[in-house]
Amino acid sequence: MDYVLTTDALTKRYKHFTALSGVSMHVPKGAIYGFVGKNGAGKTTLIRLICGLSQPDCGSYSLYGIENSQKEIVKSRRRMGAVVETPSIYLHMSAEDNIKEQYRILGLPSFDEIPALLKLVGLEDTGKKKAKNFSLGMRQRLGIAIALAGDPDFLVLDEPINGLDPQGIVEIRELILKLNRERQITVLISSHILDELSRLATHYGFIDSGQIVREISAKSLENACQKCVRLTVTDTKALARTLDSLELEYQIVSNTQADIYAKINITKLALELNRESCDILSVQEHDESLESYYINLIGGAHYE
Amino acid sequence: MNRLLSANFTRLIKDKIFWLSMIFMSLMSVYMIVMRYITTKQHGYRLYLDYGFFNYSIYAVIVLSVFVSLFVGTEYSDGAIRNKIIVGHKRSDIYLSNFLVCTAVGFLICIAYIVPTLIIGIPLVGFFETEIQTILLTGLCVFAMTIAFSAIFTAISMLNQSKAIAAVITILGVFLLLFIGIYIQTRLDEPEVYDGYSYSVGGEVVSVEEEPNPLYLSGTKRDVYEFLYDFLPGCQSVRLSNMIAPDPLTMSVYSIGIATAATGLGLIFFRKKDLK
Repeated sequence: MDYVLTTDALTKRYKHFTALSGVSMHVPKGAIYGFVGKNGAGKTTLIRLICGLSQPDCGSYSLYGIENSQKEIVKSRRRMGAVVETPSIYLHMSAEDNIKEQYRILGLPSFDEIPALLKLVGLEDTGKKKAKNFSLGMRQRLGIAIALAGDPDFLVLDEPINGLDPQGIVEIRELILKLNRERQITVLISSHILDELSRLATHYGFIDSGQIVREISAKSLENACQKCVRLTVTDTKALARTLDSLELEYQIVSNTQADIYAKINITKLALELNRESCDILSVQEHDESLESYYINLIGGAHYE
Repeated sequence: MNRLLSANFTRLIKDKIFWLSMIFMSLMSVYMIVMRYITTKQHGYRLYLDYGFFNYSIYAVIVLSVFVSLFVGTEYSDGAIRNKIIVGHKRSDIYLSNFLVCTAVGFLICIAYIVPTLIIGIPLVGFFETEIQTILLTGLCVFAMTIAFSAIFTAISMLNQSKAIAAVITILGVFLLLFIGIYIQTRLDEPEVYDGYSYSVGGEVVSVEEEPNPLYLSGTKRDVYEFLYDFLPGCQSVRLSNMIAPDPLTMSVYSIGIATAATGLGLIFFRKKDLK
């Protein structure tokens, strides 16, 4: 598999505090990599390191196969764009002037692409309005537009939906999906809003206390999050006998409830239970979410 | 680095503080020359163009301290410096491009003072009384001093991520340096002895003998003060405003040395700096 970004035992310390401790992660090409962790877990620290805003104390990282210790890393950086924490925009300039400024920084001779870029992020009608008068969502989108100047292959977004209203969240989500699907841009997106991430990510990296706990693809995560049917019955012993005879995987949860980890024919099961004089009181589908997976992984106990 | 310079100069052209600085220096220039003309007319004696011509060496560094801290500070406060690093520009290039733009602004605000003085001043009060070579050498010295101040202000602003703190440090710093300059000049101007004098009280003549001045600097202490008087940019600013530059080349070399040291140190620390 081709990786856009790999890190190897990255460590970053601030005086006596270790923000990252031996972090190794792998962002596959073409992925939307959801970087999940609670506040202070080390997400932004890692993003700062890979963006060159701070230097690691130990370990290394590679962008497009080029290690950070090599001089050529600056060339790899030209293939990436990022919005770290808050959008990096000149507040006294309009959206167009901000993008022009970034074009100059990149040494791009023509401004012809700017209207299309503004349209892509939905800021084509802002005219001469200065960025300081933009809403938070508009600033975030302008930050993404600046990150997209120069046509990067890799986009790093640090908490892009923090503080946005529902409409803003939907807009940013659609923009990210569009960039990934239509322009094949690899996206690394950090967030602790798991529900939102689960709608986007193709891969996940879970970080806690400065350490990567697990990396998993969305597909594997879906398989890991077992779907089940929770039955409430009058007699769980009769239920167990019936499920054993049908060779179905199950778990008795309480005196009246059991989880069945298989697709079941409700009519058939009901008839079988009827023979055992057992009534079905209720049937509920249970689907383990990214949130419950995360809590189980990180250890939900210390959040309670 | 050309890309960064192009981006910085474009931002400069749209920068309000830059234009306010230029306008302030031009208005100060016009005000000073007109006041000089009025004084000449009122008191009947002639004040040549030389008189107060180099006052801008003080105004320029004060204005420059405000400009640099705000111009560079905006890169941090708006977070735009991150865009430059993320897309692969070297930190040294980012630092030097900011220094070059700030130095250029230093020169431009000096020119914004000089040009109106020459255009309005020559018809009103006439040309320089001093030799043109001395004027040019003193001017060269002011420009070298501007480079030194620009390097110091750039270092402070690039190493401080808070625009407000950088502004306070640079503005207070420049006044501190100017006060040190005035203090050293005052101490060096102290006479070695207080002259003796006589006065009459009720027909009786009283004579006071000549006595040594305890504030007079002598020996190594005087040498140190004299070196600092030549070396420190604040002292240079005070001296040059009064057109006192007996050895302009040495003063210029000191300024370039200070600029090199400040930029070198600034670069070393900026390369290692964690940008938030």
